[in-house]
Amino acid sequence: MFDSPIREPLVTGKKTYGQVTEDICRPIHTKPSKEWLAGFGLSSAIAGLFVLAVAYTFITGIGAWGLNKTVGWAFDITNFVFWIGIGHAGTLISAILLLFRQKWRTGVNRAAEAMTIFAVIIALQFPLIHMGRPWLAYWIFPLPNFHGPLWVNFNSPLLWDVFAISTYFTVSLLFWYIGLIPDFATVRDRIKGKAAKAAYTAASFGWVGSAKNWQRFESVSLILAGVATPLVLSVHTIVSFDFATSVIPGWHTTIFPPYFVAGAIFSGFGMVLTLMVVTRKVLSLEDYITIGHLEAMAKVLLATGMMVGLAYGTEMFIAFYSGNMYEKYAFANRAFGPYWWSYWIMVSCNVLTPQLFWFKSIRRNPTVIFIMSLFVNVGMWFERFVIIVTSLHRDFLPSSWIMYTPSITEGAIMLGTFGVFFTLFLLFIRTFPVIAIAEVKSVMKSASDTYRSQDEHPATIDWQQQPVPVTQENHHPAHA
Amino acid sequence: MKSKKYWTQKEDLLDDPKFREQQQKEFAEDPFEAMLQDNGNSSRRDFLRVFGFTLGASAVLAACSKTPVKYALPYTNKPADVNPSVPNYYASTFYDGSEYSSVLVKVREGRPIFVETNPSSSVTGGGLSARGAASVLDLYDGFRLKAPVGAFKTWDDSLSGLSRTLKSISEKGGNIRIVTGTVLSPSTRQLIGEFADAYKGTRHVTYEAASASGILLAHEAEFGKRALPRYHFDKAQVIVGFNADFLGTWVSPVEFTKQYVTNRAPSKDNPKMSRHIQVESMMSLTGANADDRLPMKASMEGAHILELHDHIARKAGAAVFGGGKELPGNYLAKLATELWAAQGKSLVVSGSNDPQVQRLVVAINRMLQNYGQTLNINTPSYLRQGVDKEFQELVREMETGKVDAVFFYDCNPAYSYSLPVQFENALKKVPHSVAFVTAETETSRLCKAALPVNHWLESWGDAQPHAGHYSLIQPCISTLYDTRQFQDILLALVGREQNYYGYLQQYWKTTLFATQKEFASADKFWVKALERGVYEIGRPLAAEAAAEVVVAPVEEKVTPVAAADKAPDNSSLREVAATVAARYAGRGGDTDLYLYEKVGMGTGSQANIPWLQEMPDPITRATWDNYACVSYKIAKDLALETGDVVRIEGKGFNETLPVIVQPGVQAETVAVAVGYGRKVVGKAGMNIGKNAYPAGQVVADSFLGFATGVKISKVEGETYPLAITQTHGTVMDRPIIRETTLGNFLEYTKELQHERAVLKQHAVNLYPLHERAGHNWAMAIDLNKCTGCGACVVNCQSENNIPVVGKDEIRRGRELHWMRIDRYYSADANDPELAQENPEVVFQPMMCQHCDNAPCENVCPVLATVHSSEGLNQQAYNRCFGTRYCANNCPYKVRRFNWLDYTEPKNFVYNPVDNIGRMVLNPDVTVRARGVMEKCSFCVQRLQAGKLAAKADGRKLQDSDIQTACSKNCPAGAIVFGDVNDPDSAISKYYNDERTYFVLEELKVLPSVAYKVKVRNKVKEETAKA
Repeated sequence: MFDSPIREPLVTGKKTYGQVTEDICRPIHTKPSKEWLAGFGLSSAIAGLFVLAVAYTFITGIGAWGLNKTVGWAFDITNFVFWIGIGHAGTLISAILLLFRQKWRTGVNRAAEAMTIFAVIIALQFPLIHMGRPWLAYWIFPLPNFHGPLWVNFNSPLLWDVFAISTYFTVSLLFWYIGLIPDFATVRDRIKGKAAKAAYTAASFGWVGSAKNWQRFESVSLILAGVATPLVLSVHTIVSFDFATSVIPGWHTTIFPPYFVAGAIFSGFGMVLTLMVVTRKVLSLEDYITIGHLEAMAKVLLATGMMVGLAYGTEMFIAFYSGNMYEKYAFANRAFGPYWWSYWIMVSCNVLTPQLFWFKSIRRNPTVIFIMSLFVNVGMWFERFVIIVTSLHRDFLPSSWIMYTPSITEGAIMLGTFGVFFTLFLLFIRTFPVIAIAEVKSVMKSASDTYRSQDEHPATIDWQQQPVPVTQENHHPAHA
Repeated sequence: MKSKKYWTQKEDLLDDPKFREQQQKEFAEDPFEAMLQDNGNSSRRDFLRVFGFTLGASAVLAACSKTPVKYALPYTNKPADVNPSVPNYYASTFYDGSEYSSVLVKVREGRPIFVETNPSSSVTGGGLSARGAASVLDLYDGFRLKAPVGAFKTWDDSLSGLSRTLKSISEKGGNIRIVTGTVLSPSTRQLIGEFADAYKGTRHVTYEAASASGILLAHEAEFGKRALPRYHFDKAQVIVGFNADFLGTWVSPVEFTKQYVTNRAPSKDNPKMSRHIQVESMMSLTGANADDRLPMKASMEGAHILELHDHIARKAGAAVFGGGKELPGNYLAKLATELWAAQGKSLVVSGSNDPQVQRLVVAINRMLQNYGQTLNINTPSYLRQGVDKEFQELVREMETGKVDAVFFYDCNPAYSYSLPVQFENALKKVPHSVAFVTAETETSRLCKAALPVNHWLESWGDAQPHAGHYSLIQPCISTLYDTRQFQDILLALVGREQNYYGYLQQYWKTTLFATQKEFASADKFWVKALERGVYEIGRPLAAEAAAEVVVAPVEEKVTPVAAADKAPDNSSLREVAATVAARYAGRGGDTDLYLYEKVGMGTGSQANIPWLQEMPDPITRATWDNYACVSYKIAKDLALETGDVVRIEGKGFNETLPVIVQPGVQAETVAVAVGYGRKVVGKAGMNIGKNAYPAGQVVADSFLGFATGVKISKVEGETYPLAITQTHGTVMDRPIIRETTLGNFLEYTKELQHERAVLKQHAVNLYPLHERAGHNWAMAIDLNKCTGCGACVVNCQSENNIPVVGKDEIRRGRELHWMRIDRYYSADANDPELAQENPEVVFQPMMCQHCDNAPCENVCPVLATVHSSEGLNQQAYNRCFGTRYCANNCPYKVRRFNWLDYTEPKNFVYNPVDNIGRMVLNPDVTVRARGVMEKCSFCVQRLQAGKLAAKADGRKLQDSDIQTACSKNCPAGAIVFGDVNDPDSAISKYYNDERTYFVLEELKVLPSVAYKVKVRNKVKEETAKA
């Protein structure tokens, strides 16, 4: 199979198939490291804070927050949109990049999908948490009931949200799980503990690695990738409808769907980078998540960062060009009103700092990438804050203009979501293969330095001992 | 004849005992029994069948379990007029010592729940102030005094003890003083007279926190008759007010508002309106409505009035005294010209309590020939009878120990007197002091005994606001506590067997029955008067008429030029003018402390009503506090911002207060509201603000309501978060407010209607429009009539069970009022300084606009807010689960959320949520739960009631059947409500008026609340420029 010599290898360290399995499964078999324990302790403590803050909100009422008569949403929906946005990278990597045959996705897709699942789990809670009477949340579903002709409102974007997000969550979860089955089987075959063995056995659904298994696996993956691809675009489009279909200046904008999708991909990749830079270091997976991987993602950041930058500019221009005084004021207020700092944090984190990625040395420096990814996370959180709060706090009638200040409870919930997220992620890296073993192996031949340098070290390959996963790429080299 | 026998089966025919036994059983066989006795022959299926049945049955039975039952006891003997769920209305009278209103009290199942205006009254018919509306809550105040306290423990004790004491004092030739607020009731005045006859040495002293003693004494000096003239703002074409907040707090604001607005609504056919000039120290409600408003230092008021007097005297050819002070731009000279041109159709009023200043005002009105036209002392007003001097004298008497017994009724001098320490010491020297109060006050605490008296809703009584106008007070509920009526106590003390009801009836039948011809029998007259609530003769009684004064205009109709030889004699005023010139010379650089009354709080007698505490002040929009309103200049000099704290030091006054930098306050003035800082009061009024009364100057025995030469300094590093409901003052040049000047009126409205027509042409709808076959409810608000008084806000709160959320929640921006009055400042854009110093003000009542294309409706995921077939935007509280999306998407921001459980007494102590307090709730309106959105419903419960009433009568619905709480009680009649599908309704006419527009019409949300353009009557030269 031909591989361009200018493409750098995606798996380095001259790995054999055995080593790949060994390296990736190591965290599952070993005792947790001190770093892991410390990280887990901290993040579960913060997750506990989340539980407390939410419980306090449920007991007291939404009055526990800093919202008021004019600003009815702030941290709650900011967090919601933020986490939904984070949840975009996973499916984008696994579905769209799969369809585009981007091999580098194999190193990061598992973790990215896990991140998606966890982010969506957090995001899904916010429609519930932000409700005045959360115990009635089930009314959001079109359930047959005995209240006469009482039904949900199919005109409400909030209802579309529920459908869009639950669909997205279901498909993402399925997609992730299907991908995990062969790897669970691998772990099942290696694990020692009785209970763990039983668990992995159950989880691997009787996978035996037969050709039929692989063939079905491949078709299901492809179908799900096909289903998931439009969802990547639709979820955030629909989330943006919450705002775009309203009448509030600053919300009532046709640019929102593409702008939100680009922003979501941007923030998703930001979070993937935050996680991967640390994970590859702590779990010693530098050979699988190479600098090349990081660079590829940095390029995505650069591209999507400029997309959102274009959106910011377009919004401003249209507000000016529309001649609509409310629109004009809303955007002037964003940039120069009392919340100017949040707008400029957003612009500098999302548009200005990613421009550093034009430099190759910066794209290939994990430390810098990590810091930049944090900026992206911060910037994208503020983007949602800016859209929600600055539009609401000064809308049509100046008599209702007001300032919004978050309460401690809201801050705790916001911080707490990160606790929940990292707790889940840390559990994930201890129990799941962090990298899709089977998929990495599938690109070994074409994209690892093992095979690149086959002529020099043919002896390192032991065909007898290594099971070779049959992938479409193997079967139909023409597709590769 | 032998009857036939019927049988069902063989066993029946044979009378088988086993069959008979079976027949007796309800069920064919007990499955359990059968199974147990079956000795193991039952199958698995049997078991499952029985098991399933048992499980199912127990589930069904469990579902049938009883929920706690609260018994509503039916009447043993149903009162004739009380029908559950059908309200009764009783005519009565509200008078709190400063505001008078003839009212109807809505009573549901024996509980007064709402006070509304009595349309039969020619004085206040059509309007009720916020204070009047809120007084129903006072009835259920938990802080009310429930039994005698102090020297007497029981009523028997009190009455026997008191009569013994009084008798001995009277026999010894001692002095008894009855101190009351203004007694409007003629029968009570007579009764007090009888009391004085029974106990020699008794004198009645009227004490008022806000008296009109300057006016009373000035008229006494000028005409020999101590009277407060009746004002007719409706007859005046040019109105000039000097620190007289006649639309807000001065004398009779509801009445004056009603009169004032009659000349304030220009139309295409009659493009005229009166002109109103207000010269004042603090931005008052009245000043906010004026066409021209000029800042004036309170300590120079006399000098300005003197100047105006001189200008007019010059025209009238009367004596000119000099020593006056002109206002910037020779304004008073121009004003004098305007006034002179409107002789007999103008009115000059001053809020000053200085008799000398008021004498000049009398002279001005005389020269302008206004007496008998726009003000009249022959049908005087009885609303303010207190003369400051008399109370001063009483305090001096008490200090010297001459007073042996003193009664306080309906007044609270320990709180509102300018010299509280002097009063307290004086009162200590009185051996017998008794306060008759509904709730304990500062005064009652100082007295030896306090006796609980009835709330006005539990009382009989009458009132006479003006000569020739009478109204009755009738109890709407029996006494809640062991209280008695003050008049009944007096009757008992004079040893009369009669109770006050009988006394009152007798008074009416003897004194008033003879003045009418409508009814032949006195009983019929009495019943009819009670039913109507008012009795209007329209002229003074004979006794009053005897004292009639002929007000000779200072000169007959002569031109100023020809007047030289017939110069009117005003030389008696020379001395007055000299005194005024000296007293009001004013010193530049001195800071004035100006005391004013807030529209909601007044003199503080209702401080324990949380509705009033939470009612936003019309001007500052602040709630739950008083504060120092500082001028722009002082704020600049001391680097003050709203929310900073200042220390104000003056004679007898040294307090720190939070600051509001208030546009329109005179540059060298700081204004503080009285009525706050009550020390003996219930939970709502406790620790709210500071008492400003002691700051007022007493000059020549008059309480002047201001102090000069006060020291004001910033308290560094201290801030105080004020609870302000509107933090942004200007309208940002948005077409939300449409206003023009009278000169441009026709042109402007033509353009406006053209603009609207163009908008309508381009209207495109995403959703199909609602059909309106039947009613189509709508509202219209005339911005020119609306004075911004805020009565609607409290009326709405009372009608719709809107909870009070408290100071902290308002600081967080969470007031729950369904109705708010937006206040916007404006000024010539080129002059930001002027904007700060003296802006124009416009008020805009804002509530749910019931849009036909409601943005809230399509975003609610659960259809909790939907459109009715009659054009209402309805909120189903039960269905709402609180996403707040509707509120976010509301362009008018009128939706209100229950952030917390506001009915929880633990957190919101001032709310009347105990068993007594809850009696005020309107049973027709749901009390909303935590986490639920709410908003204006157009008083849907009133609409239903109105429709039912019309249906029961079998007639077409009329405008009068359906009035929302706000439109019903608007003193200005600015709010019109009705069915736009009915071509005869007032609202349809409003909809087609040339001044009508809709707020944010360009959004095409199709609101149902129309507004009418605000028009200001500016003088021509200015309009030409604009």
